[in-house]
Amino acid sequence: MPFSLSTPKDPAEAFRLLVAGRPGETALLAGGTALLRDLDEGQNHATHLISLRKLPWNRHAWKGEALEIGSTEPLRTLENDPLVRARLPGLHQAIEAVGSVALRHRATLGGNLGRASPASDLIPVLLALEALVNLRSPRGQRVVDIEQFIISSRQTAREPDELIESVSIPRALPSAYVWQRVRPSNDISQVGVAVALGPPPGRWRVALGGVSPRPVRLPEAEEALVSRRPSEAEVELAAQAAARHAPFVTDRRATEGYRRRLVTTLVRRAVRSTAEHRARRAGPKGGR
Amino acid sequence: MIRSDLAAKLAGRTTFGADLDRPGMLWAALVLSPVAHGRIRRVDLSKVRKAPGVVVAITAPDVEKLLPKGSGDPERPVFPTREVLYRHQPIAAIAARTLSEARAAALLAEVDIDPLPIVDDIETVFPEWPEPSKKPNSAVVAHVHARHGDLEAAFREAEFVHSETYRTAGVHQVALETHACLAEVEGAIWRVTTSTQSPFSVREDLSSQLGLPESAVVVEGSWVGGGFGGKTSALLEPFALLLAAAAGAPVRLALSYREEFLLGRTTLPCVVRIESSVAKGRVTGRRVRMLLDCGSTMPSRDFATGYAITFLLGPYNVDTFEVEGYGLRTNKPPFGPHRAPLIPQLTFVIDSHMDSIARRLSVDPIAFRRAHVWHEGDSTALGQRIGPSGIDSALERAEKTVLRWRGNAPREHGFGIGVGYWSTGVSAGGEARLRLTPQELVIEQGEREIGSGSVVRGLVAVAERSLGLPASAIRVAYSDTASAPFDSGVFGSRTVGALGQAVQKASEELVRELEARTGTKGSLRLEFDGRSIRAVASGLRRPIAELLTPEELNEGGLKAHGKFYGPPMKFDESRVVAGSFYPVADVVGAVHLAEVSVDRETGAVKVHRYAAFHDVGVALDMAMVRAQVEGGVVMGLGTALTEESLWSSEGSLRNPGLLDYRLPRLNDVPPIEVYPVEGFPGAGPFGAKGVGEPPIIPVPAAVANAVADATGARVFELPLSPERVARALKLL
Amino acid sequence: MTAPPTITLTVNGRTLECRRVPDDERLLDTLRWRLGLKGTKEGCRTGDCGACTVLVDGESVLSCLALTHTVEGSSLVTVEGIAAEPLGKAVVAAFQAEGAVQCGYCTPGFVVALTGLLKERGPKASREEILAALSGNLCRCTGYSPIIRATERLLEKHR
Repeated sequence: MPFSLSTPKDPAEAFRLLVAGRPGETALLAGGTALLRDLDEGQNHATHLISLRKLPWNRHAWKGEALEIGSTEPLRTLENDPLVRARLPGLHQAIEAVGSVALRHRATLGGNLGRASPASDLIPVLLALEALVNLRSPRGQRVVDIEQFIISSRQTAREPDELIESVSIPRALPSAYVWQRVRPSNDISQVGVAVALGPPPGRWRVALGGVSPRPVRLPEAEEALVSRRPSEAEVELAAQAAARHAPFVTDRRATEGYRRRLVTTLVRRAVRSTAEHRARRAGPKGGR
Repeated sequence: MIRSDLAAKLAGRTTFGADLDRPGMLWAALVLSPVAHGRIRRVDLSKVRKAPGVVVAITAPDVEKLLPKGSGDPERPVFPTREVLYRHQPIAAIAARTLSEARAAALLAEVDIDPLPIVDDIETVFPEWPEPSKKPNSAVVAHVHARHGDLEAAFREAEFVHSETYRTAGVHQVALETHACLAEVEGAIWRVTTSTQSPFSVREDLSSQLGLPESAVVVEGSWVGGGFGGKTSALLEPFALLLAAAAGAPVRLALSYREEFLLGRTTLPCVVRIESSVAKGRVTGRRVRMLLDCGSTMPSRDFATGYAITFLLGPYNVDTFEVEGYGLRTNKPPFGPHRAPLIPQLTFVIDSHMDSIARRLSVDPIAFRRAHVWHEGDSTALGQRIGPSGIDSALERAEKTVLRWRGNAPREHGFGIGVGYWSTGVSAGGEARLRLTPQELVIEQGEREIGSGSVVRGLVAVAERSLGLPASAIRVAYSDTASAPFDSGVFGSRTVGALGQAVQKASEELVRELEARTGTKGSLRLEFDGRSIRAVASGLRRPIAELLTPEELNEGGLKAHGKFYGPPMKFDESRVVAGSFYPVADVVGAVHLAEVSVDRETGAVKVHRYAAFHDVGVALDMAMVRAQVEGGVVMGLGTALTEESLWSSEGSLRNPGLLDYRLPRLNDVPPIEVYPVEGFPGAGPFGAKGVGEPPIIPVPAAVANAVADATGARVFELPLSPERVARALKLL
Repeated sequence: MTAPPTITLTVNGRTLECRRVPDDERLLDTLRWRLGLKGTKEGCRTGDCGACTVLVDGESVLSCLALTHTVEGSSLVTVEGIAAEPLGKAVVAAFQAEGAVQCGYCTPGFVVALTGLLKERGPKASREEILAALSGNLCRCTGYSPIIRATERLLEKHR
C-alpha cells in the first residue's frame, strides 16, 4: 500500500502530526529497517509515516555510569562506543546480534523497543539492565520501567500521543547476552538469555527472549542466584528454574521442548560469562 | 584469475535479467492462488482492469485470443482453467505503468475457488510404506523398479541386515537474482530477453506451451545472477509474452524474493528405506525404497525418480540389489532442477548408511568404502561399464589427510567422509562456431554465462588448448536463439564436457583448413603477440591476415563449425522391472572430509576444516576448479545444516524469505582445501570432467558422518539443525 | 499524500535533483530506475542479503530499507562510483586478483560494504571483526572463500 511521509523538524511539530493522525494509520519511522519490511509484508497497515530523523534524539550520553540513549541513535554508533563494550558487555553483545552492520547503521533502539517483537535481541538485555524508557507527549514527560513498557507482542505502554525520547540505563553492570540460533550469523535467536549482576552486589537479573508473547524477567531464576560468583549448584538451580518457568512455545524456529532444553545451557553460560567478566574487572589490572 | 567478465561485474556495469529496461515498458505482476488445491469457479478481473495504471490483465480465457493458433498445449496451460494445484500458482497476470500499480491491482482480483483436499505429506499418502504399493494409488505419478541377482538369498545368508530410514528436506536454489524477463511481441515474432540457463530450452518450452513455431519465438539470454538449476526452463516468459501481446508494449516481469520462494520449482522432500545384507565384512545385497515428493505436476517426474533411484547404490559394487521408487503428487509447486538435484540428499543416505555399517562392523569407514568402491570397468546399477574413475585415489588421499588432521585436532572433534558421484550431462548436444580474424578468435555459441565461468572461461580454455592461443586473443560471443548455434544449455555440468567438444571440433576444423592453406600438416598452432594472430608450424610463421580471403576479411573471418551430440547410451534393460531409468553418462567422483565439533548441550554443529578431493579428469583451469568446489561445498553446507523448506498443512511454504530459509553466511564457512585428482580422464575435451555440480554432492554425508564420529549419534534427517542433533544426542 | 517535492542528492560526487519523488519510494528504486544506476542490485528487499548496499555519508546502508526522502541532502556512493575512492579501488583490485566474483549479482553489495567497513573501522580493524561484519552480505556462488582471501589481502596491505 502506498503511504505518505512527514518529517517534523522538532518534537512539537511531531506531536501535532501524531495527534492529528489516526491510530493504526500512522506509524513512527525511526531507522525504518523493520517498519518498511512490516509494511511490505502486510504486518503493518499504516498509510502515513512520521519520520523522527530530524528530532534531536540521535545521540547517546554517559552521565557517570549511567547511559542515556536517544531513541533515534543508530545501533551501530552505540556498538562503536568502546565504553558500551567495556561497561555494558551484555548490551554490546545484544546489539551485535541485531541484523547486519548495514542494518545497524540505520536501525535504532527506539525503533526496536517501539516494535516490541517477541524475538527482539535487545529487549531481554534492557530488562536485565532495568532500563527506563523516557516518553514525551504534549502532556509532558514520563518515565516507564522497561518491564512495564513492554506489554505484549508488538504492544507497548506508549500512548498514541507519546514518543520514545530515550532509554536510560541507570548503571554500568557486568552483564551478558547469549543466544542460540539455527545459523550462527545473522539469524533470529531461538532463545536469548540476558543476565546482569548488581546492584546491590550479588543480586542477579535474568531475562529471556524467544518466549511468548514478550521477553520476560525470570524472578525464579534470579532468586536461585545468591552470590557474586555463584556455585555450580546455584547456577544449576537457576537454570532449572528458567526451564520450568519460561513461557516457551513451539513455532517454526524451534519446539517448546528444545527451547526448555536450551535455556538451562544458556542461563549457565550467561551467568558464567558475567561472573568471569566481573572477576576480570575486579582483578589486579581490571579495576577502575 | 582469467575471466573476461570480472571487471564489468566489479564496476556494476553488467546487465542482468532484473536490470532489463525498454522505453515504454510496462511492469507486470501475477495474481496467485489463495489455496493449494481447488476447483476454479470464477476469476474476475474487472476491478483489476479499472485500477489506476493498469493497461491489461489476463487470465485463462484470454490466452486463446492472444495466440495466433488459438491455443497452446492443453497439457500445460499457461493459467489453470479448472483446477489449481498448488498454493500461489499464478492464475492471472497484470501489466501496468508502474510496478506498485501492478502489484496493488493484483490484490483486486476476485478469485472464487472451491477448496479440495490437499496432499502435503508423502508418507501419509502412501499407506503401505515402506512396503511396495499393493493397490492403485492416484498420488503415484511415477514408479520405477529394478533388480539384479538373487537378493533374497543374499539377505538369507547374511550375518546381519542393516536397515535404516532417512528423510531429507526440500531445498531451494536461491540464486541472488530472482527470475526476471522482458517480453516484446512485434508482428509475428515473440521475443523475450530473460535470465536463463538455457535459451534454447526456453524457446522449446514457449513454442510447445504457446503453440508457436520455433521460428516465431526468439529467446535472448541476459547475464544471469545465479541459476543453480532454477533457471533451466520457462517460468515467467509465457506470462510476460502474453501480456506484451495483449498490451502491444514491452513488458517486464520479475519475481519478488517472496514469490521466488513460493513459485520456484525446487527440490522436495524424500524418504528412503535402505537395507543392506552384510557378510564377511562386505555388503552382499541391498534393497532400497524411495518416496519422492514430485509436487503438483512435473513433466519430467520419471526422470527425477528414474535417475535418482540408482544413485542409492552409491559408487559401490554391490552384487545383488533391488531398487524401487515412487514419485508422488502433492499440492506443492512442481519439483525442479537444482545443482545435482536430490543427489546430495541421496548421497547423505547412502554414505551415512555405509558409514553406519562400517561402525557396526568396527572397521575403518574409509577402508570399508575402499573395499567396495568402483574402479574403471566396474558396473553401474544398470550394468554400464564405467570409465576411468579417481574415486579410490581420492579416498586414499582423504585417508592420509584424516590421519594428519586427527593428529592436530582437539579430542572432541569428529571427522567424516562423504563419497559421491555425478553423472554429467555430456550426452546433451550442442554446437559452436569459431571465427578467426587477424586479431581475435570469436567463439559463437548459444549459452549464457551463469557465473560458474564454464562459458566465459571454460570454452575459452578449450580453444586455448586446442589452438595454442592465449585467452586474451579469444572472445566468447552471445546472441539470441535466432542467430546462435544450438546448445542444450547450462545444466548437468555439461558446458565444458559437451559444448566444449563442439569448440574442440571446430578448432580442429580451423586448424585443418589453415594447414590446407599453408601446406603444413599435423603441427599448426596459433600465436598472439597482443595485437595480431599468426599461424605457426615447422618452417611457417604467417599472420592470419595473409591467410584469409578478402571475403573472409570483410565478413568476420575464417569460420569453422563444430557439433557434438553424444551417442545414445545403452544399459542392461533386463534389470528393469518397471518404469523409465536413466543411464549414467560420465561418472565424476568426489570425496569430502569434514572436521566438526558438536555442542553437547545445544546440538549446534561447527565445521572447523573441510577438504575436497575431486576427480576432475584433467583440470583445464585449476583456479576455476577451485572456485566451483569452494562454492559447491558451501552450498552443500546449507543443505547439510540449515536450509529447509517448511510447509504448513494447508500447503503453504512457511519460510518464503531469507530470514527463515537460511543460506550459509560468510562467517559460518570453514577453511576449504581443494585437491584435484588427475589421471583418470573423462569424456570431455582433453579428458576434462564436469565440476559444477559434483562439489555439492558429498557435503551432507561428510558432515553427518563427522557428527556421528564426534558424538556416536547418527542423525537420520536433513538438515542437521541444532534441534535435530540435540534429539539424536537424546538431549530432549 | 503531500505533493512530492524535489530532493537533492549527491551521488558519486555529482549533485542531482530528483523531482516528484513519491513519499514511499525506496532509495534502491531511485538509484536503479530513476537515476539508471543499476549496479546497485535488487535482492531480497527485506534487508537480509546486502546486494543493495550503498554508502550514505560514508556508511553502508541497505538501500532497500531506506526511503529516498530520509537520505535527502546526503552524499551517496554506489558501486559505479566506488573505484573513484582509493579504498574502493583497492577493494575492487583485491576482488579481481582473488577472482572473488562468479555470477556477480552480490558483488556490488560486497564491494561497497567492504569499502564502507574499512573506512569506518580503519586499518586497525581485526580480520575477525571485518569478516563477521561482512556476514550481512549473501553470496551463493563463491562459497565466500575468495572473498575472505581478498579481504585478508587488503588487511595485509594496510598493516
